[in-house]
Amino acid sequence: MWVFTVMIVIVIVLYLLEALAVRSYTASPKPDSGRLARTFPAISILKPLKGLEDCLFDNLESFCNLDYPVYEVIFTLQDQNDPAYKVARKIKDKYHSKDISIVIEHCDAGLNPKVNNLIPAYKIAKYGLILISDSNVRVEKDYLSDISHHMDDPSVGLVSNIIRGVSSRSFGAAMENLHLNSFVAGSVCVLDKYLDMPCVVGKSMLMPKDTLEAIGGFTSVKDFLAEDYIIGQRIHALGKKVILSNHLINNVNEYWSLRRFINRHTRWGKLRWQIGGAKYLSELFTNAVFMAFILMLIMPVSTASVLFAAAVSSLKIAHDMYIGTRLRAGMSPLLYLLSPVKDLIIGFIWFVPIFSNTVNWRGNRYIIGKGSALSPMPETGLWLLIYKLLKN
Amino acid sequence: MLLCDFHIHTTYSDGSVELRKAIDIFGQAGFDVIAITDHVVSGDNSFGKLAHRFKYSVTANNFNQYISDIKEEAKRAYDKYGMLVIAGIEITKNRLSVNDSAHILIVDVQEFIPACIGYEEIFLTAKLQKALIIACHPHYMSGTGDRDTLFLWNNRDKYARYIDAWEIANRDDVFNVISLKKYPYIANSDFHKPGHLYSWKTLLNCDKNIDSIKQCIRHNKGVAITLFRN
Repeated sequence: MWVFTVMIVIVIVLYLLEALAVRSYTASPKPDSGRLARTFPAISILKPLKGLEDCLFDNLESFCNLDYPVYEVIFTLQDQNDPAYKVARKIKDKYHSKDISIVIEHCDAGLNPKVNNLIPAYKIAKYGLILISDSNVRVEKDYLSDISHHMDDPSVGLVSNIIRGVSSRSFGAAMENLHLNSFVAGSVCVLDKYLDMPCVVGKSMLMPKDTLEAIGGFTSVKDFLAEDYIIGQRIHALGKKVILSNHLINNVNEYWSLRRFINRHTRWGKLRWQIGGAKYLSELFTNAVFMAFILMLIMPVSTASVLFAAAVSSLKIAHDMYIGTRLRAGMSPLLYLLSPVKDLIIGFIWFVPIFSNTVNWRGNRYIIGKGSALSPMPETGLWLLIYKLLKN
Repeated sequence: MLLCDFHIHTTYSDGSVELRKAIDIFGQAGFDVIAITDHVVSGDNSFGKLAHRFKYSVTANNFNQYISDIKEEAKRAYDKYGMLVIAGIEITKNRLSVNDSAHILIVDVQEFIPACIGYEEIFLTAKLQKALIIACHPHYMSGTGDRDTLFLWNNRDKYARYIDAWEIANRDDVFNVISLKKYPYIANSDFHKPGHLYSWKTLLNCDKNIDSIKQCIRHNKGVAITLFRN
């Protein structure tokens, strides 16, 4: 009992640190993007598309209305029959005066399908700064102005952003957005602020071409699942600064199923287990809600243990509500009541990476190894048998 | 080819998504033409009375508001997505026996058509309005059991001449009897909730205006179906 209590006190301190870290990023004044002295370097935005994300039209359209002098948008797909192609085509037709290109090229340079999608777009990118932006991201008009000012400092090698989940209309989407707006945003801010560990999330990555080339370009990360994290680490290792911008970007998750939420976080868990190793173990102990419920299961149920679980859950709800409010995620206050449910699900998901190292991503099956290195799933043999058994 | 869906329900009847959001779901996914077709339920039996009581039906009283809302949203959808939105209804005659039940889409409806009148009167009224008449899910569907609607198929010799097209596919079901009979066909989602976006659809090779679309379906040339998947 005492062990659990001490653990949970530590977790409460961590929650406080998360809240303080998020507060520090969201409290700092926005940079004055209208400063006369600053420059506005031209930017190539690479948008890898695969399938229909929620609100894809609005997401893509938000990149056509940016207040920024010179930029191009490159939509890149592997296949003309991808349903996202029709949406990209409509956006290009609607904004025919904007510098928008659509690249359709099947590329199988590596095992990471997103990197395969980016390589053809990178070849035609005109400008010295490239911005990788996922298709489920929607941005405000001042996005480029806000993030590009960091590039005035030549020692900066990469700018990424804090993401917030918005627009949930289903239970799965609510789970996803709660997790993005608590664990993910909190961890990214804590790692960056207190531990000087850049944790780049690939939804928005701005970097100079020559910096990317210096770490070997996209081809150097083509066989990694966490290409965003690896790029961040390698740029950091070059001695360049990796900046976490305080400009919040929206990750639109509207109609997710619970299954999709579980699949994504199982995949992300496997990725963190393969990258972090023993550090991954700490994640379980920082899930206070899950630990409190485990305590209820292993100890005889008593009023004290139930009250303890209720108190921890209440604290987590308050913590998530605080971070969500700081992120201006626009979630209904009632949705935060689901936070303990989400933490319980995440607690169970945590165990999966310990026992399984296979991932199914964008229709491809891989074995994920150390550092998130991918290798192809064998089509025959024991692995396939195990995969089929697990799938069924 | 125009990506189309002519069978969509909203909260005007038993859909789970309000009109504006339903239109946005299709617009965001790149569709070119859709028809909003909420149920007009025949109130001459207890099923229908329940549907009316729980407001799962467009009625003569709210029909004008329904059409006006669709037209307003249609203008917004065209400006924003370049997507054509057509007003329609689904005449819904549910009976105890599946052999007596029928659902009929009236696409590009102009005036209210009550569902309790006879079939021929419904067809002739729709023809006068120059609307498209489409037989919905006309054969056995998977997993629905007692909700099949077989009346039009069972009485095809009598009514086929009034019907502009038959649903050869509805959501996940395919009705091969339509192709065996060589009837004009289209495919629709019978959209009631966001997950139904991914289902059978129609592709039309014609101009994006209502007259061309109706002509293309009636002549049934340049029509293809596709299983829309993400």
